[in-house]
This record gives sequence, structure tokens and C-alpha cells, in this order.
Amino acid sequence: MDLWNQLMGGFATAGTPLNLMWAFIGCALGTAVGVLPGIGPAVAVAMLLPITSQVDMTASMIFFAGIYYGAMYGGSTTSILLNTPGETGSMVTAMEGNRMAKNGRAGAALATAAIGSFVAGTIATVLVTLFAPVMANFAVRLGPPEYFCLMLLAFTTVSSVLGQSTLRGLTALFMGLAAGLIGMDQITGQVRYTGGVTELMDGIEIVLVAVGLFAVAEALHAVLFEGKTVETQNPMSHVNMSKGEWRRSWPAWLRGTLLGFPFGTIPAGGTEIPTYLSYGLERKLSRHKGEFGTTGAIEGVAGPEAANNAAVTGTLVPLLTLGIPTSTTAAILLGAFQNYGIQPGPQLFETSSTLVWALIASLYIGNVMLLILNLPLVGLWVKLLKIPKPQLYAGILIFATVGVYGMRQSSFDLLLLYGIGVLGVVLRRFDIPTAPVIVGMILGPLAEAQLRNALSIGEGRWSIFLERPMSLSLLAVVAAVLVLPKVLAHWSRARTQGAASRP
Amino acid sequence: MISSDKARLRQAWVAVGVMALALVLAVGAYDISSEAGYAGIGPNFLPWLVSAVLAACALAMLWEVRHGGFRGMLPPESDTPMYLPGFVWVSAGMLLNATLLTSIGFILSCTLCYVFAVRGLRNAGAPPEYRLRRWLVDALTGAAIAAPVYWIFTKLLAINLPGLTATGWL
Repeated sequence: MDLWNQLMGGFATAGTPLNLMWAFIGCALGTAVGVLPGIGPAVAVAMLLPITSQVDMTASMIFFAGIYYGAMYGGSTTSILLNTPGETGSMVTAMEGNRMAKNGRAGAALATAAIGSFVAGTIATVLVTLFAPVMANFAVRLGPPEYFCLMLLAFTTVSSVLGQSTLRGLTALFMGLAAGLIGMDQITGQVRYTGGVTELMDGIEIVLVAVGLFAVAEALHAVLFEGKTVETQNPMSHVNMSKGEWRRSWPAWLRGTLLGFPFGTIPAGGTEIPTYLSYGLERKLSRHKGEFGTTGAIEGVAGPEAANNAAVTGTLVPLLTLGIPTSTTAAILLGAFQNYGIQPGPQLFETSSTLVWALIASLYIGNVMLLILNLPLVGLWVKLLKIPKPQLYAGILIFATVGVYGMRQSSFDLLLLYGIGVLGVVLRRFDIPTAPVIVGMILGPLAEAQLRNALSIGEGRWSIFLERPMSLSLLAVVAAVLVLPKVLAHWSRARTQGAASRP
Repeated sequence: MISSDKARLRQAWVAVGVMALALVLAVGAYDISSEAGYAGIGPNFLPWLVSAVLAACALAMLWEVRHGGFRGMLPPESDTPMYLPGFVWVSAGMLLNATLLTSIGFILSCTLCYVFAVRGLRNAGAPPEYRLRRWLVDALTGAAIAAPVYWIFTKLLAINLPGLTATGWL
């Protein structure tokens, strides 16, 4: 009952005309950002972070959540019509969705993606409503050793599970940790790695790194390597689904949601794993296996899209209750909270309950807005794809300037932005993932503080991490995440070789 | 997948870059206090750790380069050779923007950045053309994007962006 009252209170706050307006602008902007190639929700939120200095905290968090959500809806449009997923979570959608579009079923693919996103987003928001307070109550009992182990788990999963190579993932993570070292040490106030540059005393802004690695790097990569690339757009068809397509879609939506949500809530990072798992599951369960990889199967769009949206919603649980971001956008959202002097964590539900419940209520409202924006108005978003790439990327650079300069009014930051953009191109060319850089940079200083606090509790003894059941369990999970994939791959190889050598 | 000699050479340069970063961090770590307190580790612990791990990563990368190239490398999204003139245009636009922003104001500086960037990006996809009309259209488009952004941020959101005049409109 208490939960219900708090949620209703959240609706009362989120439902004010001003907050509804912010939610709508966020959803519309997010959809546009998702549709447009070269700019994702992390960059959009990062570029708009300067508004936190003027706009009310609840309004701006509702606005940012709308962008985050909207981008997931919009990303599917580009994947289906252009086969260029703007978001990693939409990569699987592109596989079947694009094939459906090529065969004249773009409308059905867009419809199942939008409705699936709505169903998954709504169910996942209900799950956030139910589980986030429980998680927050539990998290109150966690101390620095447990927090450090949780962050260690986030580091491990983001660098070893995602991407093609653990080595390059680790390199990226430690590059991020190195960037996080610049500035003043949180505990002693000791200045590190500033090289006498006063602008670096406060450290490097996460906005700068995110915008540099994603937006500027995208523009530089486009001019260096993509000038001659010719994109063809699949023709649109009427956005609706037949009875048969509804029948095939809804179980996939539910399965995708159930797969996606847990992945969002654990520090395993990203939407890639649940979307790929969902695709594999749908392919296995489908009665129309022949359509997969040929004419395009609707289940192959419905399941992964639902998994994608559920995972995105799920990331709010660790962000709000533990203060741990499990995606790049969540990391930027953490920065937004910090701009208001708020550190998300278990106390957030007590100290800022109005904000938290308004944010959760806005997710319900945002989902309805996005369904309307993305189904009847899809034709409007498709028009955005007509913007020529040179003008689009050059325009993005203007927005990058305002986002980065607006944070600290420093021209030095703009030079740094260019340098980080060049670094982003190098990382992309050599298949070094960028997400670990961001996560390392954001969580690095927090993890360092927790580590030193934990060791202070243990009076310098490292065994403190083994003496507490929760931290010991988390360390075991870290070890499993590192070792299990290798063991499983080795086992699978051995089995394949064994089968091949048998007469 | 085994990489070509040229690709492996480039990969070796990446490993060298990571090693250089590790060394810079190690040199910096010397100057950081080791005052540990109750924790037993001080503010120099993480810098040393990061430096050591990055050095180890660089060595492991070099080992991979020697033995066939980076593991599990996805093929590059595009095989076309680098278009450096376009890169120079975009870079010039961004660097001029960083240098001139405070002296000529946000609108003019960003318009300049836009004109240079759009020129480089367009040249990357089509034969270069330098007609005056094209420059003018680009400048007007750039200003049409930069000016509303400037007004929204300075007038509506009260965020301090440099202007050419003190009116807050230019």
C-alpha cells in the first residue's frame, strides 16, 4: 500500500504540465537521436548536461530519462530501414528487421518493434517499481568492501564479457581508470596528473570524454573512412500487423522482457547479451525457422527489441539503489545526479523519494508517449534520415561544442575534445571497446575511495574482502565471470574436435 | 583471423602507445604521496596499479602482434583508404573553434567550424567543389543552427557562452 501511495505521489509530481512537457520533449528528442546515425542517447544526455545548472532537478531527470528511453525506440527505425544500428542494442533488430523491410514488410517490423518496446518498457517499469525499493533496503546493509566488490564486478563484466577480446577490453578499462585519476584525490586532496594545468585540477569531465569518444569520433571516422559509402533505404509500408503477426509477436515480447530485465539490473553491462540471447531463443522456438536469415522473421525483431528495452529500464535499478551505472548512458545520468549534489545509492529512496518516484512514474508516462510518437508518427522520423551526412555531422559538432563548453566555459576543454575524438577513431579502428573507458572513468574514483575505506575498516588487511560473506560471494562471481567463459569455450572446442576426430 | 603485415605494424603502434601511456603514468606516480593512513595504501596505489596493468596489456598486445595479430579483430567497417584532406578540414574547423570561440563569439566560431567540417565531409564523398555560392549556403546553414542554440542556452537556460557583443544576441 505504501508502495502504491508513493507511486501515486510520483504520478502527481511527474504529471504537472511542466514535467509532462519535459517528458514529451525528452521522448521526442530521444526518438530523433535514436533515428539519426552518429548520435546516441549517451551523447545526447551528455551534450545537454549543462541544463542541470538551471532546470529543476526532477524536470531534468525526467527529461534525460525520456531521451534514454526514446533513443531505444528510435534506434529500431534506423536498424530496420537502413540496416545501420545506431545503438549496440539494435544490432540484432537490424538482422531480421532489415530483411523484413527488404521484403516489403517494413511496417510490420516497425510495429512489432514499437509495440514490443512499449510492452517490455511497461513491464520492466512495473518490475523496477516493485524491486528497486527492496533492493535499496538490502543495499543499506552493504559496506565499503561490498561496494568495492560490486564495482570490481562491473569492471570485470564490462571489459571481459563485452567486445571481442578481454585484453582490449581491459586496456580500455584501464585507460578509463587512468583518465579518472586526473585531478584531486577524493580522500587526501592530493593533486594527480594535472601537469600544472589548472583546468585539470577538477579532473576531466565525463561529458567531454563521452562526446569526444562518440560524437566527435563518429564525425572524424565518417570523414576518414565513410565518404564513399552509399546507403540505401528500404521502402516504408503501412505500419500495422496482421493477426498472425500479433500471434507470433506477443510471446516473443514477453520472453524478451524476461530475458532483458535481469541483465539490466546486474552489473553485466549493456544490452548486447540479452538481445543476442533473445534472438537465439526465438530462432530456436520459432515454427518459421526458414524465415530467419532469409525473408526475415518477426519473432527475431520482437524478442530482441523487447529484451533491449527491458534491459535499459533494468539499468535504473543498480543506478538508483547502488549508484552503480551498468551502461554508458546510465553513467552519464549518474553525472547528472552528481551535478545536483546527489549521490544515488540506497539512501536515495529516503532522501530524494519525490525525485525517485517521479522518475519512475515518468517512465510509465514516457512509454505511452513513445508509443504514440513511434507508431502513427513514424513517417515523420523517417524524414530525418534524409538529412545529408555532411550537414548532420557538422551540425553535431556545434552541439558538441555547446555541451562541452557549457559545462566549464573552458576553451582548453574544446582542444581536449578534439584529442579525445582522435583517440576514439583509433579505438574504433582497432576494435577496442569504448564503453569500458567511460565506466572506468566514472567508477574508478568511486571504486578507489571504497577500496581505501574498506582497507581502513580492516586496518590495512586485504583479507577484509574474504571475511565478509557478501564480498566473498561477489569475489567468487568475479572469478567465475573471468574464468567460466574461457572454460566453456575450451570445453566446446574440445567437444567439437572430439566429434570431428571420431570415425 | 591472421592480420596482414601492414595491419600488424599498425597494431604494434597501438601497443607502443599503450606502453607510452603506462610509462607516463609511472613517471607521474613517483611524485604522488604514498601517505597510507589506516588503509595501508595511499593516493599513489591506484596510479601504480593502472600503470602496471597497462604495461602488461601493452606487452600482451605486442605478443599477439608477433603471433598473427590482435585476437578476434572484427574486419574494419570500411576498406576504403583514409581520406586525409577531409580530416584536415574537419580538424581545422574544430581547432579554430576552440581557439577563436572566446574572441569572435559562439555563433561566428561555430559557423566557421560548421563550414570547415561540412566542406571536409562533403569532399570525402564527392569531387571537391569550391563555388562561392556553396560557401555562402554552408555559412548561412551553420549560422542558422548555431544562433538558435546560442539563444536557447544563453537566454532560456542562462548558460554562459561567449558572444561577439555584450547584447547576448550575437
